[in-house]
Amino acid sequence: MELIKFFGKGPGFWVLLAILAVIFLGIALIVLKSSKKRYAGRILIPVFFIELALLFGTMALGFPHKGEVGPGVVPGLWIVGILTFSLLLFFQAISKHEEKDPPWGKISNVAVFILMTILYLIIMQFIGYYLATIIYLILGMYYLSYRNWKVMSSLTAGWVIFSYFAFYRLLYVPLPRGILIEWIFG
Amino acid sequence: MEILNNFFMGFGYLGHIQPIIAIVAGVILGIMVGAMPGLSPSMGVALLVPFTYNLQPHVALILLISIYIASEYGGSITAVTINTPGTPSAVVTAFDGYPLTKQGKAGTGLGVSLVASTIGGIIGTIILIFFSVPLARVAVRMHPAEYFALAIFGLTTVASLGGKNWAKAFLAAMLGLLINTIGIDPISGVKRFTFGTYRLFDGFALIPALIGLFALSEVFTRIEENKLEKGAQTKFDKEQWPSFMDYWKLKFAIIRSSIFGTLIGIFPGAGATIAAFLSYDIAKKLSKSPETFGKGNPEGVAAAEAANSSSVGGALVPLLALGIPGSASTAVLVGALMIHDLVPGPMLFVERPDIVYSLFAALMVANFVMLILGLMGAKLWIKVTVIPKKVLMPAILAISMIGSFAVNYSFFDVAACIGFGVSGWLLKKYGFPMAPIVLGMVLGKLAETNFRRAVIMGGYNVFFTRPASLILLILAVLSIGIPLYQTYKANKKEKNRI
Repeated sequence: MELIKFFGKGPGFWVLLAILAVIFLGIALIVLKSSKKRYAGRILIPVFFIELALLFGTMALGFPHKGEVGPGVVPGLWIVGILTFSLLLFFQAISKHEEKDPPWGKISNVAVFILMTILYLIIMQFIGYYLATIIYLILGMYYLSYRNWKVMSSLTAGWVIFSYFAFYRLLYVPLPRGILIEWIFG
Repeated sequence: MEILNNFFMGFGYLGHIQPIIAIVAGVILGIMVGAMPGLSPSMGVALLVPFTYNLQPHVALILLISIYIASEYGGSITAVTINTPGTPSAVVTAFDGYPLTKQGKAGTGLGVSLVASTIGGIIGTIILIFFSVPLARVAVRMHPAEYFALAIFGLTTVASLGGKNWAKAFLAAMLGLLINTIGIDPISGVKRFTFGTYRLFDGFALIPALIGLFALSEVFTRIEENKLEKGAQTKFDKEQWPSFMDYWKLKFAIIRSSIFGTLIGIFPGAGATIAAFLSYDIAKKLSKSPETFGKGNPEGVAAAEAANSSSVGGALVPLLALGIPGSASTAVLVGALMIHDLVPGPMLFVERPDIVYSLFAALMVANFVMLILGLMGAKLWIKVTVIPKKVLMPAILAISMIGSFAVNYSFFDVAACIGFGVSGWLLKKYGFPMAPIVLGMVLGKLAETNFRRAVIMGGYNVFFTRPASLILLILAVLSIGIPLYQTYKANKKEKNRI
């Protein structure tokens, strides 16, 4: 119990996280070098959820016991459920009862889009919502090789105007004005 | 007879220009609020409350209630056209609505959702008018054990949502339930799985999660698979709009889901989303072709929309009859009533029948206005499907970002939305359905708080000693057991055949 408490919070939690990460990487390496590498995704997803359940379970065991049904009881039930179904899927995958992994498409495109979206959110803090959105939308369409500038500019302008009136003016959503813009224009 | 007299008196109050303008404006605003991911019906009603300070009480309430009913329909527009549910309950509409759009039948999806919403809204209103007081009394006497059993019964829809992938569906539901426990425990006040950050004290907001799981995951899948060709639908074609016979075929699904949706709406805390999930599940189980659900069956759209719109009438039952808000939107309506010195509850029927019955009449009229405006807007909604995907994908991302931000004005929610989007994209690739995660997140709080309250009140046996709870639990076991047994039997038959 003391050991579980140690791993449940503070530095112990990070130690547990590191151990689980190493185990996951180890299993990933083994699977990728074995005859089951065509099932790698289907094996590793349940492994990830088993580890997640163990991590959350350890934390839940550390919750204080208050009353007849403490705060850890219900999460504990869901964690048992996750472990059960993850183990079932894991055994289905290693016994090749599952289909092979689906082929991957252009992951680089997705990665670029995710990166662009994160940059959009960061840039928004500096130049404000409106300018950042104009740049993001035009770059996004351009990256997907769309070249009709009339459509690109009218859609971007339309969206920015709509979001100004609908969100900022009507619904009082405080859209970021941007540190730089505020610094320049006061 | 007295009810009918009062109801016609209520229509009399609508014979002025102000209430009519309030209904039309409310329906337009409601459709906009519903269609915009990130703006929930309750948020729409809350944001418009300050504009009603100077209006006459019944005009103010008519405006707010029109927003409430129309926003439940509005959520289906973006769910059907771009797989981005505008409201949590529209998640269920997207199951079959978006596949219809992919098949070039956006008109069918939109038409069925509009008509089912209208009929659902009308049936919900009728039940509200005639049965509000006795139904509300039953609902508030429900024991926590029965609420827990209701939540478990709601979770059983996972078995049919998952189909062949039932294990993945259950795992997804469990994940949703676990995600729901993140934050400060509502009973003991203990911080659970917050990782030391105050941003997680309230847990993950539902709207950014569902935008990420449905809209962003779809965008990422399209970009990854490079499926950015033009939409299947090229113009508004009257032939694509469902005919009277098409609607007629859906009559049982619509009426059944409307009654069921109203009843679920009456239970405080249950709401439109649970009503839509359960009605969809029932429609699938009773259908002659359950295998077509999730692949573009209009019956699925009809069941979901009829249920979520009728739940509005249901949610108003405990509010007006007992003064107890059964949903977030009705909680906001309590505030609006109080601003105008009106106290919701049984005395409202005695002291201000004019207000109560003008609201009933307005609800009825708002449904017809919604039908007319929905038909007029159809051409516009369908145009969304002809926007080139290369333009639409970045636009959906931009809408998702502002939608997530608008919930709590928090960039943490936006980051969470991206996180859910990436997770959803990866899980979808490996056959995990997204809907059970949302279902788990919706039902988690209802299940947990009532489970713990019930145990505190009557120990662990209480779930089996109360008849209503026991019946619901038996139904839940059967709902899971029967589809699983059927799958097992089908697999065995297939093996024997081979």
